[in-house]
Amino acid sequence: MTDRVGTVAVVGRDAPLWLAAAALQRAFGVTGVRVQAVELPSWLGSVDCYSTLPSLASMHRLLGIDEAKILEAASGVPVVAQRFSNWAKGAPPYLVAYDDDPSGSGDLPFAQYWLKGHKEGLRAGIEDFSLGCACARLGRVPLPPATANAELSASYGYNLDASIYAEALKQLAARRGVETISARIADVKVEGERISSIELEGGATVKADLFVDASGAERVLMMRLPGAQFHSWPDRFPCDRVLTASAAKFRSLPAFAQISAIRGGWIGIHPLRDRTTISAVYSSDTISDQAMVAQLAVLARMPVSGDAVVSDLRPGLLDRPWVGNCVAIGEAAAAVDPLAAVGLHLAQGCISHLVTLFPATAGQMPESMAYNDTIRAFASNIADFTQAHYLLNRRFDDPFWDQAREAPATPTLRSKIDLFSARGAVSLRDNETFSEQSWTWLFLGAGIEPEGFDPRIDLVADRPLIEKVQQRLRTVAELAKRMPSVDQFVGGIDQLEAAGVT
Amino acid sequence: MAATALVSMLPRQRYSVTLVESEEIGIVGVGEATLPQMKNFNDLLGIDEAEMMRSTQATFKLGIDFVDWGFLGSSYVHPFGIHGPPASGLAFHQKWHRAVSEGREWNIEDFSFAIAAARANRFAFPAAGKTTINSTYAYAYHFDASLYAAYLRRIAEERGVTRIEGKVRDVEQDARGDIRTLLLESGDRVAGDFFIDCSGFRSLLLGGKLGVRWEDWSQWLPCDRALPVPTERCGDLTPYTRVTAMKAGWRWRIPLQHRTGNGYVFSSRFIDEEKAREELLASLDEPVLAEPRLLKFEAGRRIKSWERNCVALGLSSGFLEPLESTSIYLMQIAIMHLLPLFPAGRPDDRLVGEFNRRMDLEYDRIRDFLILHYHLNSRDDGELWRYCRSMQVPESLARKIEIFRHCGYIEDYRDGLFNAPSWLSVFLGQGLTPEHHQPLADAIPLERLIAELDELRTDIADRIGEMPKHATFLARYADAEATNPSALHKAEARL
Repeated sequence: MTDRVGTVAVVGRDAPLWLAAAALQRAFGVTGVRVQAVELPSWLGSVDCYSTLPSLASMHRLLGIDEAKILEAASGVPVVAQRFSNWAKGAPPYLVAYDDDPSGSGDLPFAQYWLKGHKEGLRAGIEDFSLGCACARLGRVPLPPATANAELSASYGYNLDASIYAEALKQLAARRGVETISARIADVKVEGERISSIELEGGATVKADLFVDASGAERVLMMRLPGAQFHSWPDRFPCDRVLTASAAKFRSLPAFAQISAIRGGWIGIHPLRDRTTISAVYSSDTISDQAMVAQLAVLARMPVSGDAVVSDLRPGLLDRPWVGNCVAIGEAAAAVDPLAAVGLHLAQGCISHLVTLFPATAGQMPESMAYNDTIRAFASNIADFTQAHYLLNRRFDDPFWDQAREAPATPTLRSKIDLFSARGAVSLRDNETFSEQSWTWLFLGAGIEPEGFDPRIDLVADRPLIEKVQQRLRTVAELAKRMPSVDQFVGGIDQLEAAGVT
Repeated sequence: MAATALVSMLPRQRYSVTLVESEEIGIVGVGEATLPQMKNFNDLLGIDEAEMMRSTQATFKLGIDFVDWGFLGSSYVHPFGIHGPPASGLAFHQKWHRAVSEGREWNIEDFSFAIAAARANRFAFPAAGKTTINSTYAYAYHFDASLYAAYLRRIAEERGVTRIEGKVRDVEQDARGDIRTLLLESGDRVAGDFFIDCSGFRSLLLGGKLGVRWEDWSQWLPCDRALPVPTERCGDLTPYTRVTAMKAGWRWRIPLQHRTGNGYVFSSRFIDEEKAREELLASLDEPVLAEPRLLKFEAGRRIKSWERNCVALGLSSGFLEPLESTSIYLMQIAIMHLLPLFPAGRPDDRLVGEFNRRMDLEYDRIRDFLILHYHLNSRDDGELWRYCRSMQVPESLARKIEIFRHCGYIEDYRDGLFNAPSWLSVFLGQGLTPEHHQPLADAIPLERLIAELDELRTDIADRIGEMPKHATFLARYADAEATNPSALHKAEARL
């Protein structure tokens, strides 16, 4: 085969770099493709934590990573839901869990049954009918069901010590055969829309048929390409600063990440095994870094210890994440406010699409058209899900939050909110990350009261409807009670066996 | 379809359904080919399949055989099924393409269970579960559309639809512009909160009264005439529709139990009616049962299917030629999109917007898929084909073609008809072979890949050999004449 891609240079840092390099090596190493990683200085500090979505587990499977081992090494804790506090005045916190959508049963979504019941006086909230939410409240982990066609299942992401996790991926990439150079970029040689080579500080030159930009917000390669433009969304996402610090570990691990709205932003509490990561995401227009450092412990309601690290946040999207022979992945392609724990998921989604769309030739790469369409839609849906939290806030009379409520949103997000407000239904699009159920928990939790429901619900008589609702309530409660606690989960196999879980 | 679905799937305590229909207005269809979604629709309505098939002279359909489309003498089947076993990450045809580039002269059709069964004139229901290759297909029906309409009308009336015989003379709106009342020629008035316009091309309510604009797509789909003609039942009773490209259009052949549906769809820009009639009559396989009658149409759609308190279904909302049997599907999907959004009171823009968004996707994606058949051709015997080859296609389609040409990749989508296997069969069938296979296919050791494909071919061929002939299966399952046990023997004897 002539003109195949023979060499790939992945340029970047931290987990996205190593995930990309390892995945490409795993998929194409055997076909003779040489994968080189150019490692730029890390941006991770000892306080950093990766908060991930459930999808990370499938990436681990693909790469042949032993899940239990890497969790243990990286102080990993399962995250079954996110718990949102103070996003509405006087309202209790709400949970957004990762319940899986049932596969093609033909039945209407359960939320429709609940809505009708709710309108007729049903007391139990929607969270009581979500396995993910129920587990999160009980501090339990919804292990995958034993049978494939189980009616209810939920997934969970992880909090991981970022430095340790990135280092473990680096070693994995090396074991798989990825060659690594650690350096800084001195120059990027561009011909037309293509990168011909990269010159490193110290004089070395890296040539490749395909370049991957995994450098995060620096976009070290993409920004040298005339065809790449980054569009930021300052009016949609008001927060531009991230402060990260640590607190002591929880004595008993919660199953959720706490996301509390504050004046000018939000505070995230992410439990790890050996410590707790506290992050503050805020607008520098509203709060200064110094003020945030000073207030952090009070706002988090936890004593904060050690270093606090501040970094910039600039949400936005490259209009063409793949230009010429250079492909941006993760934050280099799209940056989103970290509220919904989507950082690594963005990287991972880009990497999966790149593996699928790996260019057939080193010359023309029309695969870029499909990649660009897909990644734009994928990132846009994630940004919509994230922005919905801001847009639907009910912290009235707080200028920052009033403005977030009035912020412009995409027509897609508007129409999703509209449809949900009218019918309690979610219209999923192509390249959607969050399930219909996650969107539902978010919309209901954020306070949307749908005005109506699917008229077909009225075909179900009252009695069977009540029975169905009660049945689900019981099933969720019973299933959740049988699941191991987070402490048992992180305690490993012995603890799980002791808890009667196999 | 609409009346039956609405009366069956909307709660009666909240909605009552009235059907206004006229015996004087004939039904267009002579025979009709459907898509597998038809079965889901019938199942949802609780329709007994065998009874429906007996009542409508139906046969089974596994796909469409396209003859002379890419070039004269070519034939490919667009199946209701996939090629190869389901796979994630790497599409099956990439492996096939690599095997071919390594010198194996294997036809992609040998790896599709549905195609192999269709070519062998055999039929059986797909296997349950998803583990074996004989579960990787679905099926649809060929039936007599007027008998199906009558069959549904009976069910709709049994289930409580009020049917009013009559023609609509005028439509009254209220001060806001919503439709309020239909005035019939009899002088009767039919009032309603919500109206479904199934009035065909006239689009009495949506186009006529509410003035929703028509968008013309004839620059891409130039066929604007059809000459349907019934012929006698064909002997082989194929489990597929055959569509044969002609100089200025194409000809369908749909086998029913009691007769065969045929017709010539052509473009009046490239052939006149008389010449088309001659070409059609000269090309038929079986004796003619009636004279061909001319139908006129135009490709395009109303820019919105739902406006105010009116949803248009079928021809009153748009028309795409019947090449891929999408007419009934478009009605069905509109009904299925409408049900969850059906208004409780006055129509709500939020619901209208969602419905129209979904229907846009349906129409656009089918449009692109149809254009593909015309655009990718290397025929040199007709002006129509030269025109279509060089015409500018929609950007969405041009991009799809360019990517496929390069590496065989086909993007899938969540909403809308025709997923990757359908696109694949048409791309390859129309003669577009990708220049390269995707690099992921190289990751499998060649010997293993070849062995895997070879085993699959053999597996399919073996299983096909054990399937009954379509006509035999049909005679046992849903013979329209089967009123007593001897009919079965009669049917078998006739074969």
